[in-house]
Amino acid sequence: MNFDHIDVVQSLIDGVLFGSVYALLGLGFTLIFGAMHKLNMAYAASSIAGAYVGLATITIFAVPTVLAFVVGPLAAGVVGLLIYISCFQFMPRNNLLAPLMASIGALFFIDEVIIDQTAGSPITFPVLLPDAYFPVGEYGFRGDLLFIAFASFILMGVIVFMLYRTKMGLATRAASQQPVASLLCGIPTHRTNSTVFILAGVLGGFAGCLAAAAVGVLSPLLTLPLTVKGLIVTVIGGLGSIRGAIVAGFMIGALENLFLLFRGVNERDIYVFLVLFLFLVVRPNGLFGTSIDRD
Amino acid sequence: MSNSPLKALALVAATALAFASSSALAETTINIAGWGAKSGPLRSFGVNSEAVMKAAVARVNEMGGIKLKNGSKAKLAFDYHDSACNAEQAIAVARKVASESNALVGIGPTCSGAAAAMFGVFQKKVGDSGDTGLQFPILTDTAVRNGLAKISQWTFRNTPNEPDMYDKLWAWVAKNHPNLKTIYGGTETDQGHSNGTYSKVIVQAATRHGFKWSKGNIEGLTGKLASGFKNVLSSSSNWLQADTNFSVQARAFRRSGADIFIISSHPFTTCGMLKELKRQRATPKLIIGLTSSSSAEVMKGCAAEAEGMIIPTSFAPITPAAQEVAALANKNGGDADLHSAAAWENVMIIKQVMETVGVTGDPSMVQKERRMIRDGLESLKSTNGLIGKVTRVQDEGEALKPYVFVQAKAGNWVVVHDPR
Repeated sequence: MNFDHIDVVQSLIDGVLFGSVYALLGLGFTLIFGAMHKLNMAYAASSIAGAYVGLATITIFAVPTVLAFVVGPLAAGVVGLLIYISCFQFMPRNNLLAPLMASIGALFFIDEVIIDQTAGSPITFPVLLPDAYFPVGEYGFRGDLLFIAFASFILMGVIVFMLYRTKMGLATRAASQQPVASLLCGIPTHRTNSTVFILAGVLGGFAGCLAAAAVGVLSPLLTLPLTVKGLIVTVIGGLGSIRGAIVAGFMIGALENLFLLFRGVNERDIYVFLVLFLFLVVRPNGLFGTSIDRD
Repeated sequence: MSNSPLKALALVAATALAFASSSALAETTINIAGWGAKSGPLRSFGVNSEAVMKAAVARVNEMGGIKLKNGSKAKLAFDYHDSACNAEQAIAVARKVASESNALVGIGPTCSGAAAAMFGVFQKKVGDSGDTGLQFPILTDTAVRNGLAKISQWTFRNTPNEPDMYDKLWAWVAKNHPNLKTIYGGTETDQGHSNGTYSKVIVQAATRHGFKWSKGNIEGLTGKLASGFKNVLSSSSNWLQADTNFSVQARAFRRSGADIFIISSHPFTTCGMLKELKRQRATPKLIIGLTSSSSAEVMKGCAAEAEGMIIPTSFAPITPAAQEVAALANKNGGDADLHSAAAWENVMIIKQVMETVGVTGDPSMVQKERRMIRDGLESLKSTNGLIGKVTRVQDEGEALKPYVFVQAKAGNWVVVHDPR
């Protein structure tokens, strides 16, 4: 097939912009991994669950659409806390497999609850800035994705500020790097971790709402692809690296679109996973990951 | 009068016995089974079919039930199982129903991929003693991909004939929109029905009626069913069922400059694609969709973006019977569409066949009566459908159903052509 430079550049633009959703999800995965060195596989599912609650709120109570973006993240924060309590809090600290498997169970549990409550039907989600499309010469920029990209940078700034400029951030980093020592110093580890889960949940709920708004539809079909892409972004960015999650999110979005353009939809994900494989072999710590010594 | 207490006792005993006997007769039930996706992303298909099947069974019982061979009546009962649009699960349900229940016939499953795999475990040829496959009659309501019923002589379908419907649709488009000449399209490649119907049926039918692929000729595409289907797929701009980003595909559609866009997918990605096309200001003169998208889900998900899309369908609430079934489906928590409405027709067909062949309700006769019902289904030449007479294609186990063309208008599917 023949492609001109317009196809290629526009695919890159679209991919980078849509990658902002991946970046936001990667940020949440990263926060939790950074705090506990454990993966929360139910993270994307809780994000989508939050978006459903937001949508249900504006639908049932006929309140302004913008409230979906307030209620959704709050609900996802609550779901995040529940996941922490049920899948992480009471698991043995040194058993990495137990919380991983428990959170996979939570992922499917949330997915099935959503399917049960919605009969699996896609539900229209209010589209953000539906008519905002900015043509620049031969190219075009989707307003909603520009907004999401902008929001992800703002949120990244907020997270970085909280982690490095607040007592909560100090406690989180301490509990992450030296959990036993921090406990001996009087840092309430469980409270710190649950705060991180709530914070990450709120972030994910916002990402879930933005993703649903970008697609214009909420469906249980969203949870697994977003989980997989969020994990890929987290690993390629470097486990625990915030800027890595952001950069990898945009990168995977762009690469995904290029693979789609050049190789078609059936081979697209093969190449995305190949990139993941290459990173795991050649650069296992990801783009910005660092190895951290633990107790 | 000395023995009057004894007489009274005998009378009471006789009455009680008679009452018990009549109760026992009234309790006779004929069982059938249904299965479809009641979990997973396509759960709405199973929910809709179950809702309609429930209404149909209730209607049969309101009419007195099934007339048995001895002239008495039996109630019709059904169980609905979850096959989740999954081949393994559909096979497991079929095996369980065939071996562990008294169900005389089954209705289902939801997805073409699951149906194709499931039909494969049935006995291929009736009476073949060397083939130990399942010997249980199936009358499918939903799985619609072309030609599935001929996998086994125990499998029958009451699903629309898509090659016929799309052939007539393109003929109608050519006649009513003579200014439209070129086509371009795409499909969700991981869904057997969407993919197969698009690459083997829809594009070929368009070619047959003189429409040209907007990006030049496709090698091997002659208009004959399935001709050049691999090249059709590689020339199209496709997506997957769980995709959320359609920007590359929509741009390919827009830049194709085609008069007509073909979107062959189920409601979720149909809506995603339509929304992206609108966002990119792609303005085809007409959009043709997949039969399965002529459903309430598209109207719930993207009514504004679907405006103008035309789809052939074997169900629309255009007759009193169809309107009644649509209302009953809603009452039971589902929607009647071209897939689920067939469940109503299937229950009525099964009632007719059972009464013709003369089932007994005797559990020891189950296997024999399954065979009798299979033979009865095979011998049917026509059946009564909700929007008209359905012709049975006897040697293939398939149906030729009446159809209409519906168009999305102001949040509803409106009939724009009714060839019945």
